Amino acid sequence: MKKQSFTQSMAWLHTWGGLLLGWLLFAIFLTGTLAVFDKEIDGWMRPEVPAYTGSQQDALQRAVDFLQVRHPNAPSWNINLPTERSSNLSVSTGEQRRGGGQLLDPTTGEPITARETAGGGFFFRFHFTLNMPRTIGIWIVGVAAMAMLVALISGIVIHKKIFKDFFTFRPGKGQRSWLDAHNASGVLLLPFHLMITYTGLVIFFLLYMPAAVDALYAGDRQAAIDDLRGGAVAQRAARAGAVNPPMADVPLAPLGPILTQAEAAMGPVGGLSIQNPVRSGARIEVRPVLGNRIELTKGRSMSFDGVSGAVLRAPDDSRPSLLTQRVMAGLHFAQFGGYPMRWLYWLCGMVSCGMIATGLVHFCIKRRRKYAEQSPASRRFHRLVESLNLAAVVGLSLACIGLLWANRLLPMQLPQRGDWEVRVFFIVWAAGLAHALWRPSLRGWVEQLVLLALLCLGLPVLSLATTSEVPWTDPVRLWLELTCVAMGAALLWLARKVALRAAVAQPAPRRAAMKLKEMHS
Amino acid sequence: MMLPLVAGLLFAYGGMVGLCQGMERNFKLVWQCEPSPLLRRALRMAGWGLLLASFASCVWAWGWAIGPVGWFGAISLAALVLAWLLPYQARIAVVFPVAGIPLWLLVWAVVG
Repeated sequence: MKKQSFTQSMAWLHTWGGLLLGWLLFAIFLTGTLAVFDKEIDGWMRPEVPAYTGSQQDALQRAVDFLQVRHPNAPSWNINLPTERSSNLSVSTGEQRRGGGQLLDPTTGEPITARETAGGGFFFRFHFTLNMPRTIGIWIVGVAAMAMLVALISGIVIHKKIFKDFFTFRPGKGQRSWLDAHNASGVLLLPFHLMITYTGLVIFFLLYMPAAVDALYAGDRQAAIDDLRGGAVAQRAARAGAVNPPMADVPLAPLGPILTQAEAAMGPVGGLSIQNPVRSGARIEVRPVLGNRIELTKGRSMSFDGVSGAVLRAPDDSRPSLLTQRVMAGLHFAQFGGYPMRWLYWLCGMVSCGMIATGLVHFCIKRRRKYAEQSPASRRFHRLVESLNLAAVVGLSLACIGLLWANRLLPMQLPQRGDWEVRVFFIVWAAGLAHALWRPSLRGWVEQLVLLALLCLGLPVLSLATTSEVPWTDPVRLWLELTCVAMGAALLWLARKVALRAAVAQPAPRRAAMKLKEMHS
Repeated sequence: MMLPLVAGLLFAYGGMVGLCQGMERNFKLVWQCEPSPLLRRALRMAGWGLLLASFASCVWAWGWAIGPVGWFGAISLAALVLAWLLPYQARIAVVFPVAGIPLWLLVWAVVG
C-alpha cells in the first residue's frame, strides 16, 4: 500500500465512513429532528382529541370524577394530565403503563375514542431503535453515533481553511457549492453536532460501557442503578409497603393545593397516580413533565398523603455522577427552555440532516466524472451509491410524510391500524428505493423531491378534507401544518433548482443515444 | 421571554456580520473595496461585543443554566443564515442588523 499522509488517510476515513454510515445517520437525524416535536405530531395524529386551554386542575378534577364513578374499587388510578404541549387527558387503573389508558375529553370529562395510531412516538422510537428489537437497534445507532464522531473529527482535520472559509458559500458552482454547503453546515453548527452526538451516546452509557458495572456489581445492572439513584430504592420500598387491604371510604384530599405544591417543587406536572383512592391510606404520587430544567428528570416524583394532603416524600436530588449523566441526557432530549429552545433544536437538527445529505450528494458529484471513465463494475457501484443516496435522503423523507398521510387516509376500523401506519412508512420507503434504483439520476431526484414537496404542501388540505376541524382551532395543529407548508415550499424551490441542473447536465452519451433514436424514428 | 430572545438572535446575527466583515475577503465581496486595517479591527471588535451582548440576552431569556445552550444554537444558526444570504443579497444581509438591532431595542424599551 502506498504510504499516505495523515490528512489523506483522514480524508479516506471521512469519505468512506461518512458514506457507509451516512445513509443510516440521515435516518437517525431526520427522525430525531422530527421527534423534537413528538407530542405535537402525536396531537396532530389524534384529531379526535379537542384542543384544551383550560387549567390542569379542572382536567384533573374531571378525571377523578370519571374514575370515581367508573372504577371506585380499583387499587390505584393513574392520570396523565394535559400539558403545554399536549391536550391528552388519559386515565387508567392498576399497574401504571406507558401510553394506553382511556382518553377523556379534558373539557367535559366524557370518554372519547381516538383513532388507533402509531403516534408521534414512532419517530422517537425509530430514532434510537430503528424499529428493530430494542437492544440491537440501540447498538446499531450507537455504532452510527461513533462513526458520526469520527466523521466530525476527521472532517475538521481535512478541512483546509476552516476560518478563512467560515462564511463562504458559493451557490451555482456545482461540486464547489455542495462542498461549501457541507462545510458551512458542518463547521458553523459543529458545537451542536458534537453535543447531540456525544450526549446521544451518553444516554445508554450502561449499555455501551458495561465493564465498570459488571466488575463492581457482578453484572447486576439493577443494583447499580438503584445505588446510583439512591432515593428511588426507598421509593420502591414505600410503594411495595403501600399495598394494604381495602379500608373504609375516606374522601380524597383536595387536589388543587397538592397540584400547586408539586408544581412549586418540581415545575409543570405531567401526571399523577393515586394508590388506594378514596380510602384511608390513600397515597398520591405526582410526576413532573419530563425535564423543565436541563437535567432529565425521568422517574422523579413527589408523594402526598391522599387523605390529609400532607407531603410524604419530597423529590430527591440526583447524586453528582448521575446528575452529570442526566444533564447530558437532558441536553439531548431538549425538554427544557420551552418552545423557543425546541425550535432551535429543530432548526439545528434540520441543518444536521442537510449536512449529511450534502455530504452524500457531494460524494457522487465529485466522482461522477471519474467513474464515467472507469470500468463497468465501478460504474455500477457508482450507480448503486446514487440510488441509495436518493432512497436514504428523499425516500425516507417521503416515508415520514407518508406516515402522516396514512394516519388520515387508512380506514378507521382497520384492525391494528397503528401497525398499518408503520407498514405504510416502510412500504413508501421501499417504493422510494425501487424508484431510486430504477432512476438514479438527477431526474429521479427531481421526481421524488416534487412528490415530497406536494405531500408537504397538501397536508393541510388532506387534514381539512378528512377531519371536521379547521386547523386554526388548535394552534399546535396549525403550527405543524404551517411548518409542513413552509418545508414543502422550500423543497419545491430545491426541486426546481435540481430540475434546471438536470436539463443542462443531461449526460452526454445518453443525449447522443437520444439523438440517434430521434434520427431513426 | 420573547423580547430578550429575539434580541439575542439579532445580536448573534449582528456579531457574526461584524466578524465576517472584519475579514478582508468578505468585506471586498460586499463593498468591492479594501477595508482599512482600522475599520477591520473595529468591525471585529464590534462583532465580539455583539456576541457578548447576545450571550447576555440569552441568559436573560433562559437563565444561567439554559441560556448558554441557547446561545450556542443562536450564534451557530445566525452564522449559517449569514453565510447563506451573502451570495444572494450581500448588502441587505450586512446592513440589516444595523437597522434591525436598534429597532428591536426600541420595541423592547417601549413594550418591556
